[in-house]
Amino acid sequence: MYNLPSEVFRVAYGDLCYMRHNLVQTLVSTLIGPLLYLLAFGYGMRSGDQDYIAYVIPGIIAISSMNAGFSSSSQKILIQRLFHSSFDELILCPMHTPSVILGKCVMGGLRGLAGGLIILGLGMLLTPGLSLTPWLVLAMLLSCLMFSLLGVAAGLTANSSPTLMMINSIVILPMSFMCGTLFDVDSLPDFAAYIVWALPLSHSTAVMRASALCDPVDPTSVAVILVYATAFYCICHLIIKKKLY
Amino acid sequence: MADEESMIRAEGLVKRFGDLVAVDGLSLDVRKGELYGFLGPNGAGKTTTVRMLTTMEIPDEGSIAIDGLDARARVVEVRRLIGVIQQHNSLDKDLTVRENLLHHALMQNLSFKEAKKRIEEFAGIMELQDRMETKVDKLSGGWKKKVSIACSIMHRPEILFMDEPTTGLDTQSRNLLWKLIRGLNKDGTTVFLTTHYIFEAESLCDRVGIINKGRLIAEGTPEELKRRVGAFALVSVGPDGEESVSYHPDSASARAASADVPPDSSISIRPTNLEDVFLELTGRRIRCTIFPPRCSGWPTATSAT
Ligand SMILES: Nc1ncnc2c1ncn2[C@@H]1O[C@H](COP(=O)(O)OP(=O)(O)O)[C@@H](O)[C@H]1O
Ligand SMILES: [Mg+2]
Repeated sequence: MYNLPSEVFRVAYGDLCYMRHNLVQTLVSTLIGPLLYLLAFGYGMRSGDQDYIAYVIPGIIAISSMNAGFSSSSQKILIQRLFHSSFDELILCPMHTPSVILGKCVMGGLRGLAGGLIILGLGMLLTPGLSLTPWLVLAMLLSCLMFSLLGVAAGLTANSSPTLMMINSIVILPMSFMCGTLFDVDSLPDFAAYIVWALPLSHSTAVMRASALCDPVDPTSVAVILVYATAFYCICHLIIKKKLY
Repeated sequence: MADEESMIRAEGLVKRFGDLVAVDGLSLDVRKGELYGFLGPNGAGKTTTVRMLTTMEIPDEGSIAIDGLDARARVVEVRRLIGVIQQHNSLDKDLTVRENLLHHALMQNLSFKEAKKRIEEFAGIMELQDRMETKVDKLSGGWKKKVSIACSIMHRPEILFMDEPTTGLDTQSRNLLWKLIRGLNKDGTTVFLTTHYIFEAESLCDRVGIINKGRLIAEGTPEELKRRVGAFALVSVGPDGEESVSYHPDSASARAASADVPPDSSISIRPTNLEDVFLELTGRRIRCTIFPPRCSGWPTATSAT
């Protein structure tokens, strides 16, 4: 047996140093997107309707957890793999595969969590309808982890930056708009709603919205997130085992 | 050879990249405490071999045992035993020297306290003290190499793999590195070093394997390899500039043979080097890539008639 949390920290240490060196850049790039969503949809389209702002902010938090989680881990791994061969160093160390995979999710998780909390803080200033609940924090963490795992899988498989950008625009971008983040999924035509409910971000959004608005959380959505996270983890595990020992 | 003596044992390694067979049925046996040189021109398959031996790549065929441990089944244990200096700089360029060292030490499962202690120790050995807070990106090639080496020996590996460690270094850094490698080897570290510099293989290594097109074409101590071809080379250059070389077991027989050379040729007799061995075995001269950029102490022609 081995100490998983300790190994995860050891693997993540490099990324943590990187974040410390680039704190401002990391925060700015995490926050700009969500702030634009808030401005464009909350104020531009609905001219500051308080109920809508309370409704849309959990959606924006879900988007930013997805973006931060996915892009941090996928880009870092791709660069380390293709251009610096420093991913090899990771493979060369006597760390166990679960530690490597989860260690590579730490940066995405922290970024997503920090971004989410800042947006939530802003939202709480703008409207009284939102609250910070333990469920919300848990949902943010789970969602970041799930999308970081997807990012690790993408970073391990993509063979160039354009490929990664393509994955980003085929998978991540459509989810940002469609998964109930900015409007109610059930207002879509039936067949589209079915598709959208099969996507992981819909469930992140549902859980976050319910918990931020103090409504009951649907356990099915939590289960779906867990299933997706497990599936993404298994994919990462298989890729590493197949390519390496 | 007794099995416990063997530190790196590979049998029938094959690695293909599409149609290209990069390593083609290679077997190796490196003994405990040996300084083994793996000599071959660019593209011979040195890096691919090192990557397989160090668990970074899975061979298509063949088996590897490191200190008796199967490299596939006991991979985490094997990784604890080895240190690897890759051909290309693999440091995290966004981090400082100290952070890189600490990250490596942590990933080698050293405790924080032990890691800090060793970082000070190795910073001293490698004379890195003044550059500890510099980002790796800002260092020159020689300094990056030093940091890489410090990173890979901080956990005191029993076996050190170095893939062309001196390529691209200036003479001074190279000499320093040689001293360090000899020191580590003297302290009991088994060293597996690849190079395309003949002189390096010849003067640094206990035993040399010559690899060409993915196959091991000769193996032995530098002396054995040269003796196999003939310890002395008779070089004659005709009036048209055409060079021909013949090999002889001793200088007397080389001198005797010089009588048969056409009278208008210029003749020299010199000790055979590993380049001659390579040339004899492959019929291919790769002087431009295999020679070091005129380093000091290279044995040049000894006598001319
Ligand atoms: N990842 C790879 N994909 C395709 N071909 C490769 C790969 N790695 C190495 N090769 C090819 O395998 C051969 C051996 O390469 P390598 O082991 O790097 O040689 P060396 O280190 O001796 O210069 C070369 O022809 C090289 O182009
Ligand atoms: Mg190479």
